[in-house]
Amino acid sequence: MRPAQSFAPRLIVLAFFVLTLAFSGDANSEPAPAKARPSGVKLDSFPKVLKPLPQRFADAETAEVPDFQRHVMPLLGRLGCNGRSCHGSFQGRGGFQLSLFGYDFKADHEALLDENSGRVDVDDVAESLILAKPIDADMHEGGKRLDEGSWQYNTLHRWIASGAATERAIQTLERLEIQPAEIQFNTDDQQQQLTAIAHWADGSKEDVTALCRFASNDDAVAAIDESGLVASGLSGDTHVVVSYDRAVVPIAVTRRVQVDADIDAPPGSSHPVDRLIAAKHAKLGIIPSPICTDTEFIRRASLDITGTLPAAEEVRIFLANENPNKRKELIDDLLDAPGYAAWWATRFADWTGNNEQELNNVLPMRGAASRLWYEWLRVRLDDNVPYDEIVEGIVTAQSRQEGEDYREYCESMTEACKPGNENLFAARDGMPLFWARRNFQKPEERAIGFAYAFLGIRIECAQCHKHPFDQWSKDDFDQFSKIFASINARGNTVSKEANPIRKELLDNITGGKKLNNGELRKLIYRRANEGAIVPFPELIYVNRSAAARQKAAKQNKKRKGSAVAIEVPKGYVLGQAEPIELDDDPRAELMQWMRDPANSFFAPAIVNRVWSNYFGVGIINPTDDMNLANPASNQPLLKYLSDGFREHGFDLHWLHREIVTSDAYQRSTITNASNSHDRLNFSRHVPRRLPAEVIRDAVLLATQSTVQTQKMRSTMSDMAIAADVPQNRNQRDFALQVFGQSARESNCDCDRSDSPSLLQSIYLRNDMEMYQQLASKNGWVAQACASLGEAGPGQASNPQKDQIARKAEQNRVQMIARVKRYLALNPNRRAGQREKFEESYKAMRKRFKQFGYETPSLSAILADPDAWQLVSTGNANAKEASDSLESIVEDAYLRALSRTPDREELEIAMQYINDSDSVADGLSSVMWALVNTKEFIITH
Amino acid sequence: MRLHKTCDGVRRRDILRMGTLGTGAVGIGGLTLPNWLQMAAAGEVRPNHARRAIFIELVGGPSHMDTFDLKPDAPDAVRGAFRPIETNVPGVRISEHLPRLANVADKFAILRGVSHTLAAHQLGREYVNSGSRPIPALSFPSFGSVVSAERSSDINIPPHVAIPRAGHGPGFLGLQNAALETKAAPQFGKPFSVRGISLPGDLTVDEVSRRQDLLKRLDRRFAELEEDDQLLQGLSRFGDQAYAMITSPRARKAFDISKEPESFRSQFGEDAFGQSCLLSLRLVESGVNFVSLQLGGWDTHQDNFTKLKTDLLPKLDYGLSGLLTGLEQRGLLDSTAVMVTGEFGRTPKINTRSQEGGRDHYPRCMFMLMAGGDVRGGQVIGESDDTAAAPRHDAITPDDVAASFYHNLGIDPTKEFNSDTGRPITLVRNGKVVDALFS
Repeated sequence: MRPAQSFAPRLIVLAFFVLTLAFSGDANSEPAPAKARPSGVKLDSFPKVLKPLPQRFADAETAEVPDFQRHVMPLLGRLGCNGRSCHGSFQGRGGFQLSLFGYDFKADHEALLDENSGRVDVDDVAESLILAKPIDADMHEGGKRLDEGSWQYNTLHRWIASGAATERAIQTLERLEIQPAEIQFNTDDQQQQLTAIAHWADGSKEDVTALCRFASNDDAVAAIDESGLVASGLSGDTHVVVSYDRAVVPIAVTRRVQVDADIDAPPGSSHPVDRLIAAKHAKLGIIPSPICTDTEFIRRASLDITGTLPAAEEVRIFLANENPNKRKELIDDLLDAPGYAAWWATRFADWTGNNEQELNNVLPMRGAASRLWYEWLRVRLDDNVPYDEIVEGIVTAQSRQEGEDYREYCESMTEACKPGNENLFAARDGMPLFWARRNFQKPEERAIGFAYAFLGIRIECAQCHKHPFDQWSKDDFDQFSKIFASINARGNTVSKEANPIRKELLDNITGGKKLNNGELRKLIYRRANEGAIVPFPELIYVNRSAAARQKAAKQNKKRKGSAVAIEVPKGYVLGQAEPIELDDDPRAELMQWMRDPANSFFAPAIVNRVWSNYFGVGIINPTDDMNLANPASNQPLLKYLSDGFREHGFDLHWLHREIVTSDAYQRSTITNASNSHDRLNFSRHVPRRLPAEVIRDAVLLATQSTVQTQKMRSTMSDMAIAADVPQNRNQRDFALQVFGQSARESNCDCDRSDSPSLLQSIYLRNDMEMYQQLASKNGWVAQACASLGEAGPGQASNPQKDQIARKAEQNRVQMIARVKRYLALNPNRRAGQREKFEESYKAMRKRFKQFGYETPSLSAILADPDAWQLVSTGNANAKEASDSLESIVEDAYLRALSRTPDREELEIAMQYINDSDSVADGLSSVMWALVNTKEFIITH
Repeated sequence: MRLHKTCDGVRRRDILRMGTLGTGAVGIGGLTLPNWLQMAAAGEVRPNHARRAIFIELVGGPSHMDTFDLKPDAPDAVRGAFRPIETNVPGVRISEHLPRLANVADKFAILRGVSHTLAAHQLGREYVNSGSRPIPALSFPSFGSVVSAERSSDINIPPHVAIPRAGHGPGFLGLQNAALETKAAPQFGKPFSVRGISLPGDLTVDEVSRRQDLLKRLDRRFAELEEDDQLLQGLSRFGDQAYAMITSPRARKAFDISKEPESFRSQFGEDAFGQSCLLSLRLVESGVNFVSLQLGGWDTHQDNFTKLKTDLLPKLDYGLSGLLTGLEQRGLLDSTAVMVTGEFGRTPKINTRSQEGGRDHYPRCMFMLMAGGDVRGGQVIGESDDTAAAPRHDAITPDDVAASFYHNLGIDPTKEFNSDTGRPITLVRNGKVVDALFS
């Protein structure tokens, strides 16, 4: 509920202030100074801080009158009256209902004074049920909450006796000052009492400690009781959170780790990311793990950046490379590889909610929508389009290109929906499918989904109530929702002027026959496949104020004279004081707000998600839940990366590179006494289970023949990370489902799961798909047997040469596609992209040289991209592969675990193979065992 | 973040989660996978209650008026073609096309006038599969996932099986509590095996054990780290469990319905649903905690009566009566809670879109069945009005029935869980146990 309109800006000022507190600078530093005060009011002219309520109301005879908003409601909250299981329940309790957690002062005041409820009786004060019930455990289902004569009792009593009034206007809390602003514990028995001072907009100050709610984010490190007393716990760091009225203030608590033994510290790093992490480590007494080995690095970086298991030969080449810069070079190669765009398009599709079921019937061709959505994202990631531009293409999406008429639009879309033509859709500026999802139609669904996708916040609680430890009120939510009401992207919508053409196209298909929806859909589908142009829906902006004006004009005519006033509908962007007037498509303004350097959500949301991809844990956790009570574990780090990302024009490659080149990312799994329990401060590599798509692909890449896997790697065909696994409409791929692929249905990063489960273990050990892959005539076992001259379908090959040729081929295909996209740009945009494009060419030329291939000149490629053929320079530095059983086992290790076996492992494997009925059986078992190791399924 | 564990190696939040999620979940501070076997051994299972459960979903929304809530005196436009028959419980009447169930009516309770407001299949199914009205921000767990999280089970038998697939997922309880789906329904008289559980034809248990031994010897890279890492512990434990299940004959035998004597098998009917009922009985007998199964086709917008009479009712009649009889014969009925429901009822008024007429979605009035455990069979609870258009008195809600189902299983329906986003969730938020079921 929104109180009177005039309160809104004031509430928002507070929200803004609290935001500043949470996101500007170190959360540990002193709270930011209060915003400018109302003119003419000087703090000094007011009396000192008001004494705490327990002192002022110790005596029942006090003359002071408590204030409803400042005292009575917070007190009821402290007593637990408006909790979820008591009167805050949506059904109320015992015929009495309060707003959950007590932020709806008007409704709560009404509920208290409702004569039927008998809660407040100004004529017979002591008989008021809010006094009579909570002092008597027998009468009150919620038990005894109050002592007669206590300050709490006296406060409520005085308020009722004085007439149980409430201020008409909501008073604004400017800030809640907590002393101390940070806590550092050193021993077990330390305690620290917090004091909370409320600073009100009228300049008054009051000690409200006794009225605050307190909570600890980890009470093993710092426990806090209901009076605000913090007790020292285990070593580590966390926050205790204080809330009062609308303020939510986190206070950092740290306790250094105690280590007796000396630990060798790895060399320091001047990388900005490492410096910021080291500062936090110093506070906690953590010494980080050393840097990981090259084998660990290539596996980790390949899986995390490209979602792809490195090929055996790639590992060999990387290990043999003696260039001290080789890790940086590998990172550059990986960011430029097709796997990067494929895998990150999958992640972006998670966050933006690309769900085929919710897109059912959004386009006239079945299954097309999610393919188009994915490809639109993939192409942009492959071209490294700035993040804000990608989001803009989604947020401000129009269905038609500029200057395109409806018929041209339908022609173009009919063509684009044919399998294999997804690039035609990717070449379009907008991605309106985001708006067309079935579960994204109601304004409130859009508010929740939008905030989740692009702001990394959860506002669903605020749909019903303000959460005590979050800043968004129900009013904020409602005002934000309004912004989305005017966008119509439903299945059969087209703009007015397009209607005749739509009808004509439909008539062409049906021959004018009347058909029911299902029949029509089938017919359209069939006719489109036969090459007919079919009508497509388009996203339109509905101008409600124009419609209202027309309606009013009509009414005015009828009524003659008594004009009906038109009010332009408004909505508010979260936390903003100025409304957006909804007499024009509001999405451009929304985008502008997100892109603004002052926006504290847009950049941190994606930075935090990308970070968590690399560390398994975000700087804020959960990654989609940025809120005041859930501060960053390292705010300076989040700020550095967010600012840098923005300053570099939202360059995603910059962000990835900045993270992955740090020592923090490259740390070993080996722990020491100071960091063995650290999971949140990036002091070691914490193993995590690979994502569903990555596992499914990794199993194939390990178990299938080199020819087979090289094809997968170069064309991304049959790769789950590239969304190229056939999925039935109602049933997802079995393995992907078992391993927790995101269902993309509930606006939560938790839609994707990385937990282990029994079914996963059963799948890898005993599923028919696993046996088929091991036994396939296109499998690695068959290939290995052939090379040993053992029984099995033969195929002579030189894996390393093939590998390089395939890689070169993959690069050639990718580059040609890029050139074509570049050439398709209009001249202006082409000029703007020129520099980036040339860089990409140079990087590729360098790689081709290493592969031993010639590269045509840039102008030649531009003149005729398709004319480019691979020409070997004859310098490829490949060695002949050996065909011994030992080398085959080594190959199995490199394929599955990206490392060579140690002596003992080799012996165990050889012994096993020799004891087996056949070499094929033995090899099959060895590969089976390798993909079933923990080492295979986790990062390290 | 904490740099040291407590003496028992568990954080307070983890303890909360153990009590609730059981097999653990991804938490704010990282992965937590407490030892669920230990946890469940000390779990909150009240004695003398049903140990296991079978949940039967009649997908599509069965007509209540033509099955368990007939209105012979209603006007023609409503009444339908079927007549009621007496059952073995005086005064309780059901459809004439359910004669076998009429003979075992003393073994189950009929709930009439169950009511809700979700008339779409998907939403209705989510509701009746979880006992909580669906909301967009959160996915509630299915009954089976809750039981799976709350109950211990032996290492070589799956705790939660769905035949052929689960009607609803584990929601915020996470993948660890998802059902093992058989993917196919068993066929009469044929051996039955399940993906992943049965060994392929050419592989012997000895060979699998030899492979497992190889795996054990090769899988040691992270042994040192494992002590402090719940992910690695979880992977090891699930790996051992998978191996136990694959190699032990217990699970395979439980799935193989051809092991039952012909006389016993045939009382379930020879169709896929009847044989699924037989399988569910074998599974609970073998120690599976929760089995869900489905009979689809109830979305009878057209030709309602022909479909019911010739196909759906005979299947349900054979399968369910066979199951209840079989459970009793094997002494399992007292320890097995059974619940039967569709996602809604169907319109009392017969539509005229087809020659014969059909009935459309109707959540305002429907039926559910409960049996086993502490449920007193042979009674009708609740009542609909003269045309079965609404509850006559207070409505029973899906939440109430869910609360009763959990109660029957000895699980407190008001128990609080933490969602995967840390939000506190009461297991059944709005339901009251229907006491009459148990009296």
